[in-house]
Amino acid sequence: MRHRSAVREVSLDLITIAVLFLLLVPILWVFVASVRPETDITGGGLLPTRFTFDHYAAILAKKPFLIALKNSLIVGITVAIITTALAMPAAYALSRFTFHGRNFFALLILGTQMLPSLAVLVPLVVIVRQIGLTNTLTALIFTHLALGMPIAVWMLKGYIDAIPKELEEAALIDGCSRLGALWRIVVPLIRPAIIAVGTFAFVLSWGEYLMALALISKSDVKTLPLALQGLFDPYSFSWGQVMAGGTIIAMPAILLFLIFRRQLVGGLLAGGVKG
Amino acid sequence: MTFETTTRLAPARPRRRSIVPDFLLPYGMIGPAVFVAFAIAIVPLTYAFWLSLQDWYMLRRPTPTFGGLINYKQLLQDGPLWAAFGRTWIWTIGTVFVELVLALPIALLLNRESAVARAASALILLPWVTPFIVLGFGWRFLLDSDVGPIHAFLHAIGLAGDSSILNDPVGAFAIIIFISGWKGTPFLVIALLAALKSIPEELYEAAEVDGAGPVSRFVHVTLPEIWNTAITVGLVLGILAFYSFDLPWIMTKGGPQDATTIVGIAMYKAVFLDLRPAYAAAISIVMLVLLFIASLFVLKLRRRN
Repeated sequence: MRHRSAVREVSLDLITIAVLFLLLVPILWVFVASVRPETDITGGGLLPTRFTFDHYAAILAKKPFLIALKNSLIVGITVAIITTALAMPAAYALSRFTFHGRNFFALLILGTQMLPSLAVLVPLVVIVRQIGLTNTLTALIFTHLALGMPIAVWMLKGYIDAIPKELEEAALIDGCSRLGALWRIVVPLIRPAIIAVGTFAFVLSWGEYLMALALISKSDVKTLPLALQGLFDPYSFSWGQVMAGGTIIAMPAILLFLIFRRQLVGGLLAGGVKG
Repeated sequence: MTFETTTRLAPARPRRRSIVPDFLLPYGMIGPAVFVAFAIAIVPLTYAFWLSLQDWYMLRRPTPTFGGLINYKQLLQDGPLWAAFGRTWIWTIGTVFVELVLALPIALLLNRESAVARAASALILLPWVTPFIVLGFGWRFLLDSDVGPIHAFLHAIGLAGDSSILNDPVGAFAIIIFISGWKGTPFLVIALLAALKSIPEELYEAAEVDGAGPVSRFVHVTLPEIWNTAITVGLVLGILAFYSFDLPWIMTKGGPQDATTIVGIAMYKAVFLDLRPAYAAAISIVMLVLLFIASLFVLKLRRRN
């Protein structure tokens, strides 16, 4: 490391804090608005006068919002489980076996990551309509699998690559089957990474807007992003409630990244991620 | 190697025989994931191509009939659509430009060992990980002419009049491009930071010995070393921007006066408002082809080692 003066470091730290604040202030404002009284927001003052959970209470008392919360949980948890269950064996196969077509399959899975939802929106909507699955959570779950699966395969493969083969070979000699070795040796060793990719798939599904908008129009199958849109009620509209709803959608994503940053950042850089 | 052969040659204990032959096992394991990738990427893309060759205006006929190149012929004469394509290039280049301009200084600032820099490189991810629906409504709130603090600021410095900047065609397009770039910036910062940290310290020391000042060190050491990362990640972010829909749709629904109607929105409207899925499929094929050509040009900018 080159030597730098303490004064220089401190002033760079101060600039860092100022820049970070400017970048994050739009998001902070959403959170602040969700816990200040409506009169405070419409009054236009910068500093909150009072701290309140009224907006959260108000939207959690709305039936459409609660239904959407339930739907988002169903979709998100199902997507997380299926994504992990599909990605784990695929990652293991890519990491441990050499087989015909391996590179092709790897490229196909990673290629899905690079394909934005919009590029396949029209055909997917038509297909879903023709097999009669419009306005079902099943169709939404299926399309959401594309969000997190490729990156899950890639990240888990990286973690499995790092496990010494000898551990499994020992288990195989002891009479364990290949799948048994995967289940008993590999899975326990990379449990944090598995939890990270599962949560990641959940979060991507939780905030997904375009597919939900295109596939769902009935209120009993709407997910949270669509319900948030529904809060723009022309007769009883409240910015505080919209911001509270936004906070509920944003929180899982933000918490996940702060907790699993180490596991996720490398994977994100490897594959890019859908916005 | 010897270890493996001995285990194969001398099965000390009878190993549990599985029903699946060994050479099929990897296919069985990767099969489900490949099936999903096929069903969500390959099948829709192929189907989009087939669909784009159909004549299908849902108000006139319930099922598609073969129409050859009819959609592509109409597409070539569709003025508003080409205007949307034009806006999409401005949008894409503008977004990546904002990302590069913001991300490079921030990455240089964060490329230090202090606790503040480390914490900041975690927190900076927030705009990237917050879903579009939240950011879209958040920014609508911030820019609202009655309650928005950023509107008040823009009003004070004369960039916005009495009504929100989102009601002004040029202003709305510019501000949404900025927001789009702001959201993508953290991703580029993290990528550039990784590239900066991998530059060997000796390169800087050698440059210093040769008498290079800070500017010259940046131009001759730092920039060449992070160039390829910037191009590659810039391309990824450009592809994402090209396929944007969420932000302009949530914030302005493509308005005012089509000012923020990029191709993604034009395509969405073709399906859901005009009820012409075959035409929309043709738009998505044209998007794919144009993007492919543009990507080849961008990749040419990479330096060879």
